[in-house]
Amino acid sequence: MTKKKILLIDDDKDFLFATKLILEKGGYEVFLAEDGKSGVEMWKSVTPDLAIIDMMMETWGEGFSVLKKIRATDTGKDTPLFMLSAVDLQGPYQSFEPPPEFPKVNRVLHKPVKADDLLGYIAQALGK
Amino acid sequence: MIGMMNAQRPLILIIDDEEVLRDGCRQTLERSGYVVLTAGDGAEGIKLAKENKPDLAFVDLKMPGMSGMEIIEFLSKDIPDIILIMITGYATIVSAVEAIQKGAYDYLPKPFSPDQLRAAAKRGLEHRNLKIETRLLREEKERMERHFITFVSHEMRSPLVVIRQCMESLKAVAGDRFDKDVTDLIERCSTRVQNLEGLIEHWLDLSRIENGTLAQKKEPLRLQQIISRSVEEMAPICNERGIALEVNVPEDLFQIVGDEESLVRVFINIIGNATKYTPEGGRIAVSARNGEDNVAVYIADTGVGIPQDKLPFIFEPFFRAAGKEERHRGSGLGLTFCKKIMESHGGEIGATSKEGKGTTCTLKFPILHPQTKKLNHAPA
Repeated sequence: MTKKKILLIDDDKDFLFATKLILEKGGYEVFLAEDGKSGVEMWKSVTPDLAIIDMMMETWGEGFSVLKKIRATDTGKDTPLFMLSAVDLQGPYQSFEPPPEFPKVNRVLHKPVKADDLLGYIAQALGK
Repeated sequence: MIGMMNAQRPLILIIDDEEVLRDGCRQTLERSGYVVLTAGDGAEGIKLAKENKPDLAFVDLKMPGMSGMEIIEFLSKDIPDIILIMITGYATIVSAVEAIQKGAYDYLPKPFSPDQLRAAAKRGLEHRNLKIETRLLREEKERMERHFITFVSHEMRSPLVVIRQCMESLKAVAGDRFDKDVTDLIERCSTRVQNLEGLIEHWLDLSRIENGTLAQKKEPLRLQQIISRSVEEMAPICNERGIALEVNVPEDLFQIVGDEESLVRVFINIIGNATKYTPEGGRIAVSARNGEDNVAVYIADTGVGIPQDKLPFIFEPFFRAAGKEERHRGSGLGLTFCKKIMESHGGEIGATSKEGKGTTCTLKFPILHPQTKKLNHAPA
């Protein structure tokens, strides 16, 4: 069986590296993008089975515009997309909620992500 | 770097009633690569300026109809970042000063050579770019100041989050090859990093209170609601630690005014603190009653208590009443946060304690309608 492909978009190299190891341990083929633009390009060239997108990259909320662009592609309509956030855990002061009319986000994950949780959510989303 | 702000060539408007001069200027400036518009009088000039938003305008001072001075006054107010240069046949210090007061950048006495015209245009456009750059930098600086705390929070927490993610990966990738000692070490590192994140968060909260971006809301509130939200939040932790959490709050508490979210956090902090110092099998009781002109809430625990000599200092930053036992370790700023929030609500916070028996924390809130207390009775 061929490995399922996961695209990980985050502007922090160390975070990409650490998370890639978890995903590979889970048996996935992992593609990395360090910014929103190359993330969208890679989405088109790789056509992954799932993408994980950081909310705050070059700019505040860049992840949302990446998500929008991916959802607008033919292959991105129904593919599971996860968002990553490192917003403050306490209180609503920093919480970054997508606007109501926003394209579907399958799950929001808070950094740091527990390995078991991450792999569990992905397996669930890919219908394993 | 002329025309830095707009990718096209700079646009220059010439307002002068002398056709020969207009055409001469146009030719000179067009040859230097500028786009040029011309107008024979003030009304036409203003109309063109509004439609095209030129970067720079040469305005003749003496014209039939609207005077150059009036045009300068109008354009300097209405066209953003426009540079105005007055052309004048009778350059006097007085008229030059007046034009500059009205918003002109420079003046060009007649007769002038093409070189002088080009030099004036170049200098004016350079000034415009500097002006725009300065404004953008100032706006950026103001934005940075407004978002400084959020920015700092993100910058400080990001590396810590990544460190924890790396440790999580280490466990996931190689965890089954580690001895218990190694796993323990990783666990300790994670906990300490997490504590540091908490410390940063609390410290930033204090800054937010000080700069007024936290606890800003002043809404009528029911303490019952705040207490029940906090208790709901803390119940699982109490349960886990084998501590009973009891609530005894009357329904007819006076209404107070404040910021619900930050008050919930005050209660969570105090109850959380109580759980740290209360042994298994102990009890935390939350009660409240109406006072003369306030509402008092009591959070009493059956914990280890605080020595009398240390009691006055417990709301100070980084003060720790108990030893350095690990389970007690928090940010050291939790109660300081509570005190600041209570102060920003015009309230009070205090504590009484008996060693070995327990501690009672008291929060007093001013009521919404001190004169007409009946109105304070919130609808059930």
